[in-house]
Amino acid sequence: MPAFQPTGDQFRAFRDDPYDGPIAQVNLLKFRVKAAYNASDPEHGQAESGAVAYQRYADAFGIAAAEAGGRCLLMGEVERYFIGNGDWDAVMVMFFPNRQAFIATLNHSTYQDMHRHRDAGLLAQELLTTRVQTATG
Amino acid sequence: MNATQPSPDQIKAFLAADMAEPVAMLNVLKFKPKATYESDASEAELNLTGQEAYTRYGKGVFEVLKRIGAKPLFSAPANRFMIGAGDWDAAAIVWYPSRQSFIDMSQREDYRAIHYHREAGLDHQLLIETTPGPQ
Repeated sequence: MPAFQPTGDQFRAFRDDPYDGPIAQVNLLKFRVKAAYNASDPEHGQAESGAVAYQRYADAFGIAAAEAGGRCLLMGEVERYFIGNGDWDAVMVMFFPNRQAFIATLNHSTYQDMHRHRDAGLLAQELLTTRVQTATG
Repeated sequence: MNATQPSPDQIKAFLAADMAEPVAMLNVLKFKPKATYESDASEAELNLTGQEAYTRYGKGVFEVLKRIGAKPLFSAPANRFMIGAGDWDAAAIVWYPSRQSFIDMSQREDYRAIHYHREAGLDHQLLIETTPGPQ
């Protein structure tokens, strides 16, 4: 079931989990066909896809995440489903050494500025938090 | 709509794409509560969970991937949904140097020899094909 933001309960459950090991955040993403920037955004009025807008967010998020030891394991455009069915446009998997590093990225000084690109580009998503056993990349 | 195998149309669509292009395959997995080995399998008496059976498959696949130049990018048990909702037990990504290498893997003897663990452990899955470029 897609959504746009964590609920309060979902955020607290993530934050308060005592597990302190590495996590990977598996994002399944559906973009807006056209980017929907606010009239006050500098990008407003440009004919761009939601995917282009979201990529700006992903790039900025990746830079902020790196300061906390995070890195992108996969940013891939969905070609098709080989098993099962669904309607996601892209998959982004981010590695963090622990959950505090993810929260630090959300609290990064650049986050407020980058967030407009997510709002403009993203229609809905699922975010599955996983406890990493093996990771490369 | 729970599936463990590609449909004929899904195989056809995969084979119609550029077979030389690298792909990253995201597995999103749901295990059986209890493994269902055939009665003549040596594991039938072990009373394994589906997750334990699938882990045996995963370890075997890991060795096969090394032999074909593919790279497991990550694997992890699912913890919870932070956005949205669903019911999955684990996720894993494998990068393949080409679509052809993914297809070839399924025909290999060393792959077919471990495949029964997947059948015993897996209830259903998504396998999402993405194009991230070279690694």
